[in-house]
Amino acid sequence: MTGDEIRPSHLHWWWFAGALAVLGVVVVTASLLGAVHLDASSIVASLADRLPFVEIDSGMTDREEAILWDLRMPRIVLGGIVGATLAVAGGAYQGSFRNPLADPYLLGVAAGAGLGATVAIVYGPAIPSVPFGPLPLLAFLGGIGGVAATYAIGYSVRAGRTAVTLILAGVAVAAFLTSVQTYLQQRNAETLREVYGWILGRLSTVGWTEVWMVLPYVVVATVVILAGARRLDVLSVGDDEAVTLGVDPRRVRLVVVLAATLGTAAVVAVSGLIGFVGIIVPHTIRIVFGTSYRIVLPLSVVFGAAFLILADLLARTISAPAEIPIGVVTAFFGAPFFAVVLRSSRGLGS
Amino acid sequence: MTSALSLTSIGVRFDDSTILDSVDLTVERGEWVGLIGPNGAGKTTLLRAITGSVSFEGSVEISGGSSSAMKRRELARSVALVPQTPVLPPGMRVVDYVLLGRTPHLGEVTGPSLHDLESVAGVLEALSLSEFMDREVATLSGGELQRVVIARALAQESPILLLDEPTTALDIGKQQSVLDLVDSLRRTRDLTVLSAMHDLTIAGQFPDRLVLLSAGSVVAEGRGREVLDPELIRAHFGAEVRIFDDGFGGIVVVPVRAQEDRNASNPKPTK
Repeated sequence: MTGDEIRPSHLHWWWFAGALAVLGVVVVTASLLGAVHLDASSIVASLADRLPFVEIDSGMTDREEAILWDLRMPRIVLGGIVGATLAVAGGAYQGSFRNPLADPYLLGVAAGAGLGATVAIVYGPAIPSVPFGPLPLLAFLGGIGGVAATYAIGYSVRAGRTAVTLILAGVAVAAFLTSVQTYLQQRNAETLREVYGWILGRLSTVGWTEVWMVLPYVVVATVVILAGARRLDVLSVGDDEAVTLGVDPRRVRLVVVLAATLGTAAVVAVSGLIGFVGIIVPHTIRIVFGTSYRIVLPLSVVFGAAFLILADLLARTISAPAEIPIGVVTAFFGAPFFAVVLRSSRGLGS
Repeated sequence: MTSALSLTSIGVRFDDSTILDSVDLTVERGEWVGLIGPNGAGKTTLLRAITGSVSFEGSVEISGGSSSAMKRRELARSVALVPQTPVLPPGMRVVDYVLLGRTPHLGEVTGPSLHDLESVAGVLEALSLSEFMDREVATLSGGELQRVVIARALAQESPILLLDEPTTALDIGKQQSVLDLVDSLRRTRDLTVLSAMHDLTIAGQFPDRLVLLSAGSVVAEGRGREVLDPELIRAHFGAEVRIFDDGFGGIVVVPVRAQEDRNASNPKPTK
């Protein structure tokens, strides 16, 4: 047998191209639907026109162009960014902790961001003005603070410290922060609706502001996570064996978890707590394409984006003109879909 | 000539308990040393100290160089470990699992080179695993799995191979074939082998030399006949055994039933 006959698992280019094609179809579909009718061919032409070195006349009026580029596209792109980040961060957490139930909100990100957002909503008028308003900033800082507290507690444990120690520390931090958040929320019942709406997740945009706000964090986080894919594969044989293969598991975990947390905190700041994406997208990819993180993570970026754009499309069209919170949609459609995928699998991820 | 592996005053402590205390051990190039001792004697911890998985006092020298001065990847290119109970990643195929052994040779960003794949191919063929290449590791039988884990360690191409009770879960035929394999590999690949061993008869058959570890210290070392002694085994394992020469240079250790006239404080043979 020669080296040519050795075919290790890897991401086939046609899988990735197929995923991009799915994303393209979802983007065009999502930009078609809304209160004002836009033409599919015009949308594709207008999209192509924005590519470098391409000049096509979409035939749309200025008003239609504005609806597409100032209203629908920012929301679609933000949905894509949020979905991609939650999915890839979920995969990164699952690999770092070798725990199939790990999601991007583990380790206190959600509870910290929730508290930050509640503070911003309750005390909003009293907070000095900051760029983009106090809510994203406080949600972001709260999320990062929650994880920092979790790490501080987890690493203060000396004897018998394992990956699970950190998860348990996260449970304690989350319980504490949630209790403070709930107390604040109950004391200020008039803001209940607004706080609740944020917690269930929503994608609302003011032009491209939110996109530019989160993009730098998300790009850095995604690049770091993708660069760690091979090491996450090594971590799958356990910390002890990873050491004998020349990998420092604690360093890999620290870097990958910090990147995933940074990305998650950034998107949570603009979208609220959209659940389930970080669990079902990576797991579905594992079941369909393979368990190597060199396959799971890149595909999670693309399918995570497509999944959330689709979920947002449903959220804003099912009972239009009213909107359903997107977190409700991801769980309502995501959970049964995932149950079907799980049934047809051979029980991976345990 | 410097020894392949030289341990000096190795001590390992977890909080207040001492796991290893001042262990000295030398393994020459091409030698197979068997590490025996009762449960909890510190055999696995000693192997983990060599691979850098636990912090320790004292020094571990590999071909004359201190392991603590080596980078993790460099250490992994010098020492490979076959763990006692390997963690099996769900859904991972044999070829991907064996390729993990190439990790210390891969670049930071680049994937496996043709040389890495050639190495994996060579190991799979040498261990008759080619046909299992696409099977998931979690679906293998005990004997197949043990060969796959050894294949991963061999793909590391490290001159020193550590085995942590490599045959515990195997039937007698699989035990023999795995150990024969290790024996032939150490000759063909010029490996130095240090193995923790549970079964004293097997320890009396394969290694060149035995080291008896008890309560974290080396209490005896030498050729099989010198270490596999009824008095030593009674003292450290609490077992009554008879020892026979098999007539071919190996040693057979047989536990005997506790007899009624034997002192009641003498524990029942455990093995």
